[in-house]
Amino acid sequence: MIELIHVTKRFGATTAVDDISLRVEPGELCVLVGTSGCGKSTTLRMINRLIEHSDGEIHIDGQQIRAFREEALRRRMGYAIQSTGLFPHWTVARNIGLVPRLLKWPTPRVRERVEELMALLGLPPAEFADKYPRQLSGGQAQRVGVARALAADPDILLMDEPFGALDPITRETLQEELRALQARLGKTIVFVTHDMDEALRLADRLVVMDQGRIRQQGHPLTLLREPADDFVASLLGGEDRGLKEAALLPVSERMLPLSPRLLPRERVAQTATLREALAIMLWRHAERLTVVDDEDIPIGELSLRRLVGARAND
Amino acid sequence: MRDGVHKEVVRPNVVLVTLMAATLVAWLGLDAVSVAPNRIVPGRGHAAGEIAGAAGLVASLLPMLAVIGLAWRPSPGRRRLALGLVVAMLAALPAWLALAAARLVDPALPQARLGIGAGVWVSLFLLLLALIELRTRLALSRPLGWALLLVPAASLALCLRLGLAPLALRREYAGRSEQFLAAIGEHLLLVGGAVGLSLLVGVALALAMRRWPRARELGFAVLNFLQTIPSLALFGLLLAPLAWLAAEVEWLAALGVSGIGWAPALLALVGYSLLPMVRNTYVALDEVDPGVVDAARGMGMSPGQVFRQVRLPLALPVILEGIRITTVQAIGLTAVAALIGAGGLGTFVFQGLGQAAMDLVLLGALPILVMALAADALLGALTDLLRPGGAT
Repeated sequence: MIELIHVTKRFGATTAVDDISLRVEPGELCVLVGTSGCGKSTTLRMINRLIEHSDGEIHIDGQQIRAFREEALRRRMGYAIQSTGLFPHWTVARNIGLVPRLLKWPTPRVRERVEELMALLGLPPAEFADKYPRQLSGGQAQRVGVARALAADPDILLMDEPFGALDPITRETLQEELRALQARLGKTIVFVTHDMDEALRLADRLVVMDQGRIRQQGHPLTLLREPADDFVASLLGGEDRGLKEAALLPVSERMLPLSPRLLPRERVAQTATLREALAIMLWRHAERLTVVDDEDIPIGELSLRRLVGARAND
Repeated sequence: MRDGVHKEVVRPNVVLVTLMAATLVAWLGLDAVSVAPNRIVPGRGHAAGEIAGAAGLVASLLPMLAVIGLAWRPSPGRRRLALGLVVAMLAALPAWLALAAARLVDPALPQARLGIGAGVWVSLFLLLLALIELRTRLALSRPLGWALLLVPAASLALCLRLGLAPLALRREYAGRSEQFLAAIGEHLLLVGGAVGLSLLVGVALALAMRRWPRARELGFAVLNFLQTIPSLALFGLLLAPLAWLAAEVEWLAALGVSGIGWAPALLALVGYSLLPMVRNTYVALDEVDPGVVDAARGMGMSPGQVFRQVRLPLALPVILEGIRITTVQAIGLTAVAALIGAGGLGTFVFQGLGQAAMDLVLLGALPILVMALAADALLGALTDLLRPGGAT
């Protein structure tokens, strides 16, 4: 668990982070989002003391972070950044094994752990272990960066726009993988981004920051439906919020359980999002879709009226 | 249609063609050797044709023409063949000198000597350029390029053994073989001492400048100023204080410190070496990717670990570059230090200048050249070696 209590950071006369309080529960993926210069990166870097906070208290698992030695504190947390920060003069395997070696794990255990992580992140050790970072694509390098952050199995992961420099397709793949990884490993993650779609897709808790303050925090759906003010509403996409919400809700949420009526020809998976269902309707010129389960068996029906949330008895 | 796809425009390798044409002109137009009855009398020049006769001259032109032909429509196979011809021509140069020694030098005159003429020097230079051009085009590694030079070197060694006794350089050497070896030793010692000391001081200065940014501008200003003082003037400036020191401090005098000699030479050399050393070290350490350093700290490396395991290894190629520049510069500057009695190969250069004996000048200058090239090549190779991850 990470807890920030009335934390402030001043650089000379300017206040970068202004009296923020934030609590990230164990296993929660907390996304700090905001325009550049809003203090989100500073907040992240205060948690592992790359930047020392000026006022307030930061606690990790109930202990003040200043009670730890700086290096010891950082070795307890994974850290991944946009430029990957991979050491260009080290192989992939050596890069990933960095923190375990700093923690003086025995060599065989480090090797075992490195191979385990490479497999976990879809980097076959036989192919990648001895490569150097410059031989990797952007996506591969970022996987190595995430593997390195996970190496010593820390409870906490700090990620500073880790996917910011990737192309949209790779970015989306890695976002999905991060969600899947998070579901399996249950880390406590603080994730910084300026990309609202990324934030909505990943967050359990969304924290909107502006000028060093927290404007609003909570579940993404809560923020979409009840933005605290115009700033949050416009940052979340203004009128576009409808589509963004639809992208977060599964089809099963709005479908009508199977009725004896004639089934429409076009199909959609129950796990698809409402946004995807809408896209199918637009593309196929269909107002009604058959909802199917994992085995392609029809289980319900979704009409355009139900999709948009109108209470209709169809 | 297929023609449109496969049509390949093969352009002549203009560089190689030009180099070879120039070699041809130099070989035909300039004196290959000069022969003098003794050390004092100026020699008489002889063209290549006088050494080997008309038939020999024509034969010597054939490989040059062949390389021009090969370079006109280059292909990898043709480049390799051209490379072979260039190496063979380089290897043939000592043989030409041996032939000239046998045919043109009168054995009845024990003091007669054979000077190497402009034709041979220019051809040597142009052929080496051609070698570099071909090595680059064929993407051969640097060490392999140097290995190719072993063939001409072996040829030179063989010719020296068999029949180059009248070579003027050799005559100059024969009278001073012990001095020559001692001079090489002194030269290397001065260069080694200067580079070693400036490395220690330079790295310390660079680290201090990184720690105290205010010291940076002042530091670089002083070093830049040092660099602009002419070397002779610096030697002169050091004369008085060092003489005073030697007179005041006994153990310094016992060490051989005085107003002239090795001490001022070493000090001046270190002074000149500091700027490239400090600049490269500073820039190298400063330009390490901040993202990498941020990650290193964020992963929990201590400041010492960040420096030793990340910053220093990543900076090393650029620091080595500084050592390379410094070494090559110091090898040249040490020659000037001979003027204040520091010894070294410069002694021969200045003696030769004084006696108007160009061959003696060459005896000093050639090893300096070879030393500089060797240091450059060795340190360059070391730099490449230390770049395993290819930090761009």
